[in-house]
Order: sequence, then structure tokens, then C-alpha cells
Amino acid sequence: MREPTKERHEGVPADNVAERLAAESLGYLKPLYAAGLRLTRNPADAEDLVQDTFVKALRFAERFTPGTNLKAWLFTILHNTWRNRLRDASRAPVDVDSERAEEAAGAAQASAETPERILLRATLDADLQAALDSLPEAFRQAVWLRDVEEFSYAEIAGMLDVPIGTVMSRISRGRRLLFDRLSRVAQKAKVEVGGR
Amino acid sequence: MSDCRRIAERLASYADDLLTPSERAVVDQHLAQCSHCRRAAASEQGARTIVRARAETLRGGALPPGLRSRCEAIAREQLTPAPPFWRRRLVPLALTAVLVLFTVFAVISLATQRSNTLFAAQLAADHVKCVQGVATPGTASADASRLESLLFEEYGWKVRVPPSSHAGGVELIGAGRCLVGAGVVPHLVYRTGGRDVSLYMMEGVTRGEADVVTLGYRSRVWSRGATTFVLVSPADAGELATAVDYLRQEAH
Repeated sequence: MREPTKERHEGVPADNVAERLAAESLGYLKPLYAAGLRLTRNPADAEDLVQDTFVKALRFAERFTPGTNLKAWLFTILHNTWRNRLRDASRAPVDVDSERAEEAAGAAQASAETPERILLRATLDADLQAALDSLPEAFRQAVWLRDVEEFSYAEIAGMLDVPIGTVMSRISRGRRLLFDRLSRVAQKAKVEVGGR
Repeated sequence: MSDCRRIAERLASYADDLLTPSERAVVDQHLAQCSHCRRAAASEQGARTIVRARAETLRGGALPPGLRSRCEAIAREQLTPAPPFWRRRLVPLALTAVLVLFTVFAVISLATQRSNTLFAAQLAADHVKCVQGVATPGTASADASRLESLLFEEYGWKVRVPPSSHAGGVELIGAGRCLVGAGVVPHLVYRTGGRDVSLYMMEGVTRGEADVVTLGYRSRVWSRGATTFVLVSPADAGELATAVDYLRQEAH
């Protein structure tokens, strides 16, 4: 009774744990949907993915350890579900995609733009969304989870089921690739404006 | 070169400011001498700043209408079993048993290859779960071509919906989607002999012919082209031979 986590385990009937988990999970629908949208790039698929995630969270409620990060747990289910769907649909596996892109990212040279100048110009949210969506899936996931949702490397490693080193490398390469795309957008805008 | 590679591994932590002072000093020292890595570090820092500055907006899109209420309904359904709709045909105990078995089967199915019985049991539970959403009790028979265009417009599914048929002894009650083990699939509901039966269409799923009775429901499984069809009916509804023949012939 003195320790809050113990109290939850012993003092509260299982039903209440599930009820609380359901209520708290409803509060994370928005970030889950936003992440789902970045994964699927399609509103209807994102909706199905989130609903599926929610159903699984309730079904496996007893596997959640009270006191740990519920949001991270839900994101783990979201990504597992997404991976299973990709596998079921036998689309190109994530890793092939990312390896090719990793090479591309390694070869890509950053432009002469400075971050500050890009930041000034690339404020158009549509540009940023488009640049993010154009990233290979593995990088898009890593950057989103780190910089939008601010999960730790270890949490992201759990969600994506890859080693921490891979997570760090994907974040790093994903960010550089994103910056590269943004600077291209910015340069294109400059050319268009100059051409008038 | 190997220096650059070692530094590259640390650039994420460098941008996230998670390095110890001494690790950071090593990176700084390298960056001072290497323009390639310096550019990489600046790009990384730049993207990080932009995304974080816009995180709220990126995440901020509204939820699609209905998603929240559907999840709330799922929570109510899972937390308080025995919806009144089934009261007449099934005692609450039986429904609870179905839900418990469904959960157990769902867990088992993660580890094992789904057998026909398991597959049928899941669909029996899916029938219980979805039939109410697809068909409102007491609805008059539905128009097949309207449902076909609805399935196409709403979900992008091109399916042929067999219409009500006097000769086939079936009345089309409704159509919608149902989340089953294979994903979200078209779900048609017919009434035959006064009972509701579900027809699921699973594109890209290949399963052999089967006729399985489990959990009080009978599932008839057949394939046509790349699509597997499953007709789920209450086991005590009997053979339903005419209806089954009709639907097997007409659904594709």
C-alpha cells in the first residue's frame, strides 16, 4: 500500500486496470492517428490502423505494466500492427527500402544552405509534411518518433524492433535526408521567384 | 575515413545533446577539421530544429469524425460483455465464453499456424462483433447495387454483392466492413430462415474448402480466384443448402 505501483497491482481489481487503460488510451488517439497517417500516408488506412491498435491494446491490457509509459506501449502496438500488415500484404520489406536509401543518404551532399536560412524559408508546413512523407519509411518513422513524439532511443528501438545503434543511425540519416529535401524545395522556390 | 564513420555514429546523440562532455569534445575536435562531417552535423541539427519547432502542427491534424466514438464503443463492448441485442438467442454466459475464447484464440493464433477451427472460431466471434453494426435488426431488405457502390466509394472494394433472392431463400440485410484476423474486410449480412448469417470476403487469403462447426456457429469456407469466402451461420440454423448454393454461385 505504501508503494504506488504495488498498490495498483494488488489493490485494484483487474477490471479497473483495463478500464483505466481504455480511458487513458483514448487520450492518445490523436498522436497515434498522426503517427499512423505518416506510416500509411492514407487517412482511411491510418484510421483502421489506429482502431486496430486500440482493439489490441484492450485485448492485451493485462500485458501492460502499470507505471510504465502507456504512450510508448501504444506506439509499440501501432508499429507492430503496421509491420504485420506490410508483411501480410507482402509489400517490399522495410529494410530493403531503408538500405537503398541509406546509401543514397550517404552519397547525398548537403547543400551550401545554412540551417538558419533554410529554417527561415521552410516554414511552410505543407513543404515540411511533403518532405517528411517523401522519406523512406524507416527514416520517416525514426525521425517522427524522436523529434515529434520525443521518445528515447531505447523506446524507439523497442517499437521498431531494431538495435539502438540502428535507431540512432536512422534518426541521423533521416534528419540529414530531410534537410537535403527541404533545401532543395527552398532552392526551387528561389529559382521560381527569381525567374519571374 | 574511419574517424568520420565513428563520428557519424555519434551525430544523433550530438544533435540531441546526449553526449558526455568528453565525448562531445572529441566530436567537436573532429568537426573543426572535417568539413564533410561539419556539414552533416549542421544538416542534422537543422532538420531537428525545424521538425521540433513544427511538431505541434505536424501532430495537430484533427481526428477523423467517428474514430473516437468507435473506439469508445469498442471499449464499452470489451469491458462490459453481453450487449442486449443477443439476449434472446444467447445467454450472457455463452457470449462471455465466446469473447473469452476469442481472446484465447487470438493469442494462440499469434504463435501457431491458424487451423480451420481457429479460423472459424475467430470468424464466429467476428460475426457476433460486427453483425449488429452492419445490419440494424428489423431492417427491410437492402439494395445490392447501392451497397456495391457504397463499398466501393467508402472503402475502395470492388465486390459483387449477391442481391436478395426468393429462389435462393436469402434476403440481403446490409453490408459494411469488419475488422477480422486478416484485416478489415467486406462483410455482408443476409437473413435466411429468419436467422442472420454473415458472408466475409477475404481478398488475397487462400484457404481450402472447409465446413466447420465451432462456438455454436457453422462456417463454410470456399475460395474463388484469389478471394476466400466464409459464410457464418448459427449452427442450429441447419443445412441452409439453397442459400449456400446461391451465395457460392453469386458472390465474387
